[in-house]
Amino acid sequence: MSRLLGWLTAAGLVAGIVMGFGVAPREVTQGNVQRIMYLHVPSVWVAYLAFTVVFVASIVYLARRAEAADRIAHASAEVGVLFTAVTIASGSIWGKPTWGTWWTWDARLTSVAILFVMYLGYLLLRGMIEDRERAARYSAVLGIIAALDLPLIHFSVYWWRTLHQPPSIVKPGAATMPSVILAALLVNFAAFTLLYAYFLHTRVRLLRREQEAMA
Amino acid sequence: MIPDNWGFVLAAYSLAAIVLGGYWRRLVRRDRELARAERSHAVPTAGQPRSAPASRTPLE
Repeated sequence: MSRLLGWLTAAGLVAGIVMGFGVAPREVTQGNVQRIMYLHVPSVWVAYLAFTVVFVASIVYLARRAEAADRIAHASAEVGVLFTAVTIASGSIWGKPTWGTWWTWDARLTSVAILFVMYLGYLLLRGMIEDRERAARYSAVLGIIAALDLPLIHFSVYWWRTLHQPPSIVKPGAATMPSVILAALLVNFAAFTLLYAYFLHTRVRLLRREQEAMA
Repeated sequence: MIPDNWGFVLAAYSLAAIVLGGYWRRLVRRDRELARAERSHAVPTAGQPRSAPASRTPLE
């Protein structure tokens, strides 16, 4: 299962690179630097997905005290932090040639930075508490509270005046981009989702083995 | 129209490859460590009885 998922992910990532660099055309206003979009947008999608999984798994853990749900929340938070870091770094690199700055305290960027710091705190909290049950309970509460930042991030571009552009896909009505660019983006969405599933599956399995070894 | 800025594209993709590849390597390494630990604490299988600790002498 893990091996198959790994190979599927590798194939997906290769297809994503081919679509992003070989099939999708050079964008007319930004030039080739726009190709960072095929990395930046799927990364933030995976971060959203990972923290939504943390939110749901944390609720399930608090309701049923299921250790499996806690392991899923822990693993998903770790992967989510990783992809949020990639999102922030790639966005910053994209921002320099297009906005003229590496960083600005704009509503979208700031709310993503807060999300990153909150889930870093979540991982630190888990590491700091030795009692496993207490660590799981406290981090589940934090996992739920931190996820409330997700809608704030999405709607920040509508609620405040920001440098960041509004959503091009997750919005009412049709996507506002040429179909070939949209296709390249969707292939990368699929590849990054597979990568998330692979990381999550592997990390959950490792967490279970670590807990069994310590028991 | 702004220039292509391939350097920025390369930097973004390289950084992502380092971060995600590094995490993957960490998972693989942890998997190997756990496998090694599990092997060293392996429960003896049927037909291979292990001597009781009390029956061993220190210099045996």
